[in-house]
Amino acid sequence: MQAEKSLQNQPHTEAGTSRPCRSCKWQTPDPTDPHRGQCTANRHAMGGVWKRWLRDVENTTCARHEEGKLSFRDHV
Amino acid sequence: MNDIASAKVLEYKGNTLRFTPENPAEAKIPADELHEHLQKPSTARTKRLKERCRWKHASAGEFIEKSVTAGIERMRYLTEAHKASEGQPEAIRRALGLANVLNKSTLVLQEDEFIVGYHAEDPNMFPLYPELSHMAVQDYLRSDYSPQPADEAAAINEYWKPHSLQSKCQPYFDPADLGRMYQVSSMEAPSFASGYNSIVPPYETVLEDGLLARIKLAEKHIAEAQADMSTFPWDGTKGLDNIAKIDNWKAMVIACKAVISWARRQGRLCKIVAENFETDPKRQAELLEIAEICHRIPAEPCKGLKDAMQAKFFTFLICHAIERYASGYAQKEDTLLWPYYKASVVDKKFQPMSHMDAVELVEMERLKISEHGAGKSRAYREIFPGSNDLFILTVGGTNAKGEDACNDMTDAILEAAKRIRTAEPSIVFRYSKKNREKTLHWVFECIRDGLGYPSIKHDEIGTAQMKEYAKFSLNGNGATDEEAHNWVNVLCMSPGIHGRRKTQKTRSEGGGSIFPAKLLEVALNDGYDWSYADMQLGPKTGDLSSLKTFEDVWEAFRNQYQYAINLCISTKDVSRYFEQRFLQMPFVSAIDDGCMELGMDACALSEQPNGWHNPITTIVAANSLVAIKKLVFEDRKYTLEQLSQALKANWEGFEEMRVDFKRAPKWGNDDDYADNIITRFYEEIIGGEMRKITNYSGGPVMPTGQAVGLYMEVGSRTGPTPDGRFGGEAADDGGISPYMGTDKKGPTAVLRSVSKVQKNQKGNLLNQRLSVPIMRSKHGFEIWNSYMKTWHDLNIDHVQFNVVSTDEMRAAQREPEKHHDLIVRVSGYSARFVDIPTYGQNTIIARQEQDFSASDLEFLNVEL
Ligand code: SF4
Repeated sequence: MQAEKSLQNQPHTEAGTSRPCRSCKWQTPDPTDPHRGQCTANRHAMGGVWKRWLRDVENTTCARHEEGKLSFRDHV
Repeated sequence: MNDIASAKVLEYKGNTLRFTPENPAEAKIPADELHEHLQKPSTARTKRLKERCRWKHASAGEFIEKSVTAGIERMRYLTEAHKASEGQPEAIRRALGLANVLNKSTLVLQEDEFIVGYHAEDPNMFPLYPELSHMAVQDYLRSDYSPQPADEAAAINEYWKPHSLQSKCQPYFDPADLGRMYQVSSMEAPSFASGYNSIVPPYETVLEDGLLARIKLAEKHIAEAQADMSTFPWDGTKGLDNIAKIDNWKAMVIACKAVISWARRQGRLCKIVAENFETDPKRQAELLEIAEICHRIPAEPCKGLKDAMQAKFFTFLICHAIERYASGYAQKEDTLLWPYYKASVVDKKFQPMSHMDAVELVEMERLKISEHGAGKSRAYREIFPGSNDLFILTVGGTNAKGEDACNDMTDAILEAAKRIRTAEPSIVFRYSKKNREKTLHWVFECIRDGLGYPSIKHDEIGTAQMKEYAKFSLNGNGATDEEAHNWVNVLCMSPGIHGRRKTQKTRSEGGGSIFPAKLLEVALNDGYDWSYADMQLGPKTGDLSSLKTFEDVWEAFRNQYQYAINLCISTKDVSRYFEQRFLQMPFVSAIDDGCMELGMDACALSEQPNGWHNPITTIVAANSLVAIKKLVFEDRKYTLEQLSQALKANWEGFEEMRVDFKRAPKWGNDDDYADNIITRFYEEIIGGEMRKITNYSGGPVMPTGQAVGLYMEVGSRTGPTPDGRFGGEAADDGGISPYMGTDKKGPTAVLRSVSKVQKNQKGNLLNQRLSVPIMRSKHGFEIWNSYMKTWHDLNIDHVQFNVVSTDEMRAAQREPEKHHDLIVRVSGYSARFVDIPTYGQNTIIARQEQDFSASDLEFLNVEL
């Protein structure tokens, strides 16, 4: 149960998900390849934004998904 | 709220020093809004132009102004010509593409402007380059800035897929290697995937000869080549060389003719507006004057300063935005414009004007550049946050005879920058002890006003470097000892030749980045990237159990570095191979004396090698190695396994350990323990390994350490590091700058540390933040001037300054709308502070603000 919850909190593959990283406010596109992305949800109290690479922004998701787009001010 | 005056009192050489503002009126300005009071546009016109400037700053991949978007015309007309020219020689197809774009594009003429010309159909737009990277255009198609109609743009991008530089180069590499590069965590993506580029246009030939003379030269060469081909006895081993040359010269003629008619079309537009629409007689007369200038230049040689400024701007647009995209604004502007300044301001022979008229002209030029839009890929919309593109010009230094090269044009350029206050273009000042004090005062004025530029480069180091590279010239025609003085920064940091030939034409010669912090992270994990991409990012260089000594760690890093730098340079050279076959630049070739003489394309001809690559985040890696050596292998307080466990937990539950690693000796404090390891790191690995590589031009590739905004981007893609840094925190902000806040021993200790690294370097960026009250006091210039002399004597390559208070930056974070004139130096470029993400703003606030103690002043030998 605990392991399942922890998996849900991590980016994971879910083919055809209705809550893909692509529409999530924490996602920002990959710098080079538009099919990839970066998750920026992991933010440290000291100000660090620790990104995770997203191999496939259409078919990856996690429990922290939130629709929307952050302002440039909240990104790196 | 503090005021600008410092309460600091210093006893120095028997005197009591107080730091009250040199200008007493400033005592009344609140310290947290100082920069909103410093602009002084020289005329009402430049004030208006600044107020309505269409800025194109980008941050985190997004444009700040909502009205900015990609245009479609360039890609449409380029594609149309490409389809229509199938079967023709590739160089000629490229020229016909340029001609079609120039002949058919919509012209833009804006109110109040005197320097005219734009490279897209609307001043809020910028062009795209599907012939470079289809991925970069695809990203735009999915963004809020997609060109319209979107269907047409998508079809154009599909058409270019098989023809693009990206598609031509990719098959020669392992997809796994390319996938690693595209992430921009250990290596910058190759230019064939991003389309990013830089160039030093040979402006001199356009201004001195005019394009009609270049056309005549090319036609003469064609006639000679054809005559050669019909001469008895035919020699097939040489005669066939004429074919490619004739194609190149023909392409040059097509390109030059197209540029002349485009400029004249621009002139006709001014005339039509003057005669049919403009009601103000003064503006009418001015539009007719612009029309006359555009008819005459760049076809003919320039005769006055207005001619030169306009011809230079047209040339910039073609070389940097229309024929092919290139970042930068490389030129030795004061030297280039001096003959025309002399004709107009000193001798009043042509386009007579005053010095202040020249200043106004430069202010207008700065605003044109601020408005210029770059269709750069997402990576490059992320890594210069708060700015538009990297626009950097060079002034000062010494001339071919080794004499002071400063002149009144230098002063006009600096005065205009101080008055108009724009983040772009940035200025590099080549510092020599021969430079006149009058000009040094203008340099100081810009720096103390917080512009972050001029950034300072060591004149002799740059000149010696040009001589050294010349030795490797493949055709034995590198820079002569005199020409070695003719150098400018190609982009932020790296010198290259300027002038009529031998300039750098493509970034596949020099440019691109490698990220040691990430490489160290994967070296500690057998090449695996656990913190960002969760995949193998480099070769398997041994797991922790195999790293038994510090030298084992050192060698694991060396192997990761060798793999990455080899890949970086080979991708550039493969780009170069295809650039000269499918991405010829007939206009650039036409204005280069070497290409003209030899009938070669600008991407093919390399007379002066200038290979370099930018290590970024070196200090995080270096400080980490110092901490590992001390705490793991010498003090044996922790094992590598314990360190790895703490890093994987982002130090959570390991706070005491983190503090130990944070407190380990750090770079920038003149501490021999740290400095010896770090100097060896720079000289033996960062530079030593890189220079083993030979690039297309036959010369070594050397490191030019700098950071742009990549220290933030790569920091966010790098997990926690053994220097005590948390995962996702920014990395070090220079090429050789101490990590923010860790240089605790004052400004002269930083200089002493930095001066220890001398071997195997092409350049290294040093960021320093100086105290506002000290710099604005009556002692400011003397302290800065002494600092510069010491910096010079320590043989340090570079330094740039922020003179901005924490109060003011914090106030701008609270109320951004009130702080549009607050400019800061990020790294290699300046930016509008409020256009930088909060993450990046905080890294600038966190930099150590250097105060000067009495012992610092003594070391600098300041006479007050
Ligand atoms: S928070 Fe979750 S859904 Fe959102 S981008 Fe990150 S991994 Fe994807």
